Amino acid sequence: MSRVITYAKAINEAMIQEMERDENVFILGEDVAKMGGDFGLTQGIYPRWPDRIFDTALSESAIVGLANGAAIAGLRPIAEIMFADFAGVAFDQIVNSTAKMNFMFQEEANCPVVIRAPQGAGIRCAYHHSAVVESWFLNTPGLVIVSPASPYEAKGLLISAIRSDDPVLFLEHKVLLNAKGEVPQESYALPLGKGVIERDGKDVTIVALQLTVKMALEAAKELEKEGIAAEIINLRTIKPYDEELIAKSVAKTSRLVIAQEGPKVGGWAAEISAMVSEKYFEYLEAPIQRVTCLDVPVSFSPVLEDYYMLNAADIVAAAKEAVSF
Amino acid sequence: MALNKERLKSLYRDMYLIRNFEELIKEYAANGTIPGFVHLSTGQEACEAGVVRALRTTDYKYPDHRGHGAILLCGTDPKYVMAEIFGRATGINGGRGGSMHVHDWSCHNHGFNGIQGSTCVTALGTAFAAKYRHTDDVSAIFMGDGTLGEGTCHESMNMAATWKLPVIYCLINNGYAISTPSKEAHPQEELRQWADGYGVPSWRIDGNDIEAVVEITEEAVNLARKGKGPSLIEFVTYRWQGHFAGDPASYRPAEELEYWKKRDPLILSKKVLIEREGVTQEEISAIENEVDNELQACLKFTLDSPWPVACDALTHVYEEFSVEARQ
Repeated sequence: MSRVITYAKAINEAMIQEMERDENVFILGEDVAKMGGDFGLTQGIYPRWPDRIFDTALSESAIVGLANGAAIAGLRPIAEIMFADFAGVAFDQIVNSTAKMNFMFQEEANCPVVIRAPQGAGIRCAYHHSAVVESWFLNTPGLVIVSPASPYEAKGLLISAIRSDDPVLFLEHKVLLNAKGEVPQESYALPLGKGVIERDGKDVTIVALQLTVKMALEAAKELEKEGIAAEIINLRTIKPYDEELIAKSVAKTSRLVIAQEGPKVGGWAAEISAMVSEKYFEYLEAPIQRVTCLDVPVSFSPVLEDYYMLNAADIVAAAKEAVSF
Repeated sequence: MALNKERLKSLYRDMYLIRNFEELIKEYAANGTIPGFVHLSTGQEACEAGVVRALRTTDYKYPDHRGHGAILLCGTDPKYVMAEIFGRATGINGGRGGSMHVHDWSCHNHGFNGIQGSTCVTALGTAFAAKYRHTDDVSAIFMGDGTLGEGTCHESMNMAATWKLPVIYCLINNGYAISTPSKEAHPQEELRQWADGYGVPSWRIDGNDIEAVVEITEEAVNLARKGKGPSLIEFVTYRWQGHFAGDPASYRPAEELEYWKKRDPLILSKKVLIEREGVTQEEISAIENEVDNELQACLKFTLDSPWPVACDALTHVYEEFSVEARQ
């Protein structure tokens, strides 16, 4: 049975259903148990399983480190980092332990950790509570990085992340937490590493992730008014990303726009751009366009933050530029 | 508390194995056969042997970067340990890890990490898992005086103490973090005093006295098994070599090394065996010959072993995804 719930509720439901299914699943993080999480994502879990959800000290390294050790010993930890920006505190744990344990322990053991962290700009909380962090971790083999765009994806991808034997960095967008959408009541898993076509089009491919999916869909409506049919790809997983889906689409449209939240230099859009340029150059009839935020820290004041952020109009302009060749 | 003769003889064998295993490592690092760099524990063998022998196979063990000694005793056949340090395909980890990352899940040896302090937080997880599953396995971390400078070490002690997790911090104080004397990096007279702030019981003992190492570690293990939470043991010892094999260690006075060589844990242990336990020199020589033969067999096995197949580098990066090979 499907019904309309929020992205936040979808995340909560995924964790509860996985805890019902597998007693090895447990949760730890700051204020996750009795309070139910700073964003309320773990509400209702502590009253039901007081021995499976734990409030910790403000110790992100210890949170992730404990999750790593517990995972290698056979449990399935969900470690919540209150804001994705704080993953910086646990950076060593994530890139040097979480990501490398499968490699080192080979078939003997693995590291089925989920690190959940709300990310992103748009809630007026300045540069220590607004980063998107996919690109911080993109250069780390061994990690899976998932950024769901809708309540349906949030639930199905989080269930897959918890069941995966690979460590997953599961990034939730703060702006989307109250977004509503159709979500099946029953448990379901969406594949990691696979994107989806959100909208078919023949003139230009727009690759988007999480918050930029909605922007790209808005842009596509505007472009349609001008006779440009945009194909929108929602990557869902950015590491490893769905190269085949991008390649097929670019083969059809010959034009590529990449819409990425976060600074431009070294962002994931640069990786997609480089990959298409290297491997599928013959498909292209126009330079690849990256639409991103600016290369500055996120500001507090709405005027400043909005200037940093990309929007649908930027994507429209880039797509028109791409089809002008 | 004195250990009995058989146990002491066995511990002497362990220390002799570590000492001479590392002599071979030193030789083959110096002649370029072993790639990269290695950290030798020569002089600290009593800490390594005493701690591991106070534990059981299912306890989670976290040898550090100077951990050949502990690794050799966790349960892995020494020839697979040696082959790993030489980067060969037959190494326990297929040559992926080398000297600093020799681990073996089958005996719960987590010698995985080359970054100071990191194992302090990983060990929280295995300790947590033991508690979650109602087993009494403990997690024992080897760390150095330098490790105490890392924030992870303190996050770990705080959380282990608060949650009463079965963690044992085995602090091997050899006086130096590479070249920096611990008194220049830490304000305490005794490094074990760090534990006081976390309400963690602690001891400071002679790390070259194998009997004291075993006795105190067993006490800490018993506390942890009974659910009394973590403890910290500061083993005062000295590394004869520099930080890595080949480091001339010009940062420390020569008389310091001479002092500690007189306190060689093997000599101290042999003295107890002969003078107190009445073991003969012949019996000791028999132990030593057996180990020498075993080590020669390890070396032959290692040198006869092939290098890994290059594309093995692609395996197990992910469980569920493949990685693109070099074109």
